[in-house]
Amino acid sequence: MTPNLIAMSMFGAMLVLLFSGQRMFGMIGFVAVVAALWLWGDRGGYDIAFAQSIKLMGWFPLMTLPMFIFMGYVLSESRLADDLYRMFHVWFGPVPGGLAIGTIFLMVLISAMNGLSVAGMAIGATIALPELLRRNYDKLMVTGVIQAGSSLGILIPPSVVLVLYAMIARQPVGKLWLAGVLPGLMMAAMFIIYIWIRCKITPSLGPVLSAKERAEVTRAEKIRLLSAGLLPFGIFLAMMVPFVTGYVRLVESSVIGALAAVLAAIVKGRMSWAVFETSARHTLAISCMFLWIILAALAFGAIFDGLRAVEALKGLFLEDLHLNRWTVLIIMQLTFLLMGTFLDDTAMLVIVAPLYVPLVDALGFDLIWYGVLYTITTQVAYMTPPFGYNLFLMRAMAPPEISLADIYRSIVPFVAVMILALALVITFPQIALWLPEQLYKQ
Amino acid sequence: MPNWTRTFVRHVDAFNYRVGRFAMYLLFVLMGVMLWSSFARSALTPAIWTDEMGQFLLLGYFMLGGAYSLQLDSAVRMDLFYSRWRDRTKAIVDAVTILGLIFYLGVLLYGAVESTAYAIETGETRRGLWRPYMWPVKTVMCIGIVMMILQCTSIFIKDLAKLRGEDLS
Repeated sequence: MTPNLIAMSMFGAMLVLLFSGQRMFGMIGFVAVVAALWLWGDRGGYDIAFAQSIKLMGWFPLMTLPMFIFMGYVLSESRLADDLYRMFHVWFGPVPGGLAIGTIFLMVLISAMNGLSVAGMAIGATIALPELLRRNYDKLMVTGVIQAGSSLGILIPPSVVLVLYAMIARQPVGKLWLAGVLPGLMMAAMFIIYIWIRCKITPSLGPVLSAKERAEVTRAEKIRLLSAGLLPFGIFLAMMVPFVTGYVRLVESSVIGALAAVLAAIVKGRMSWAVFETSARHTLAISCMFLWIILAALAFGAIFDGLRAVEALKGLFLEDLHLNRWTVLIIMQLTFLLMGTFLDDTAMLVIVAPLYVPLVDALGFDLIWYGVLYTITTQVAYMTPPFGYNLFLMRAMAPPEISLADIYRSIVPFVAVMILALALVITFPQIALWLPEQLYKQ
Repeated sequence: MPNWTRTFVRHVDAFNYRVGRFAMYLLFVLMGVMLWSSFARSALTPAIWTDEMGQFLLLGYFMLGGAYSLQLDSAVRMDLFYSRWRDRTKAIVDAVTILGLIFYLGVLLYGAVESTAYAIETGETRRGLWRPYMWPVKTVMCIGIVMMILQCTSIFIKDLAKLRGEDLS
């Protein structure tokens, strides 16, 4: 069997096994160890799986993962975001689709306080969703807004996905985070423009807050609510300032962030044993899920390495098919999107990225820029059926009147906006690269 | 199901639960170590042990917590088809595929035991200034993997029981 054929059959076997619904890390690991034993069983092939755990240990920034997850859970479990939601609610109520626009702003702030989209989903589904439905917002609009908005969590710093990417691409995390800022804000702005135009044309999608309800809120109350916005800025600054100025390292800044969230919850009187215990338990569950998938996927990747799959792929694209590098990039993004629809994002990152990142590098593209493209593609993958992380979360959290078909249909316009954003970042790399270049020039 | 399976499932679940709850709090120890690291670097002399200690703690966190996370059923499944099956179908498919999972963990354990034996025999240390011994963390990994195998066996037995119309959980 040629290496290419082996690689392809490994991929095929993995997909079939994944569709059996067994825990993903087990199936990825199973295919990896069977291949390793079969290929190199007489020469230490049995060792490949465990060797990855030592490699994993060396990945220092991995420690940020449980910290950011814990932080996100403290924020959502303690309901610290309730005041934030009220602030946007009051200030944006008079605009067509204003509550949906406010929800996007809320998501941007939550994204700046945690590295995944889970917390955003939880906060959106528990706070924003019922309020918006009660005010007769269109349910497709509401579910779409929450899913799209929460996916910003992986693009706006701190971002766990970019930390994982940084380790695979061997690029500085700080630079990658800065590169994510403008594309993230741009995408949020595009969501807002889309919502505003849709609601302007069809006001029933997002009715303006009634005059009676607006009159109930005094000006003093409006000003007072603005102070709720100080909290996320406080947490964000406490975390980012010492890191960017070089006082603490990435991992330490994530610890500061987690503690700042706990402190904020205590100060606001929202901390209880139940909140703490639930956050710690979920953090363990989610972190273990991530780390075991990474461990298995690393073994899978190590075998692809041993088979020299990257060179084979590059040879196939550039020499056999005579494609230019931009065509290759676009093909890669398309296959990434396709795989993203049925692979979990962590698995996608750890299996596909070791194959693609060296290829991108060999083609002469900027790896920081590609990190942003990669993340946007992951965001789309988060939201596209059949396997979308946010779709599952939404299904688990949404009230029964929202059906699965509603959830699937609700994401279509937002995915279109995201693909437009992806195309913009591909065409104008400066959107991603300008900020890190400015700050790292000195 | 025979009586010993009942006892096995009960003991394994209880043991993994306790160790998992312990692992859950390692997160806060990790936080403390990292904070100390940044404090020592700016106020005292840089601590040489914190980075490796943090790495060991993270590894311990997810190795010892793994079995408990299986109990919490947090592992991602691709449930496109799975979610539509009847409980019985789920149990049949799970009972077969979990053997693959156990096989993977078995190979992992084989590598872990061999690596631990090597670390004990040669007094292997980690690179860096601190040069800690590697056998303690490797032993913890062996224990974690054994716990995972036991937990998967317990899940396997529960699936078999479900197929026979009994409930062990």
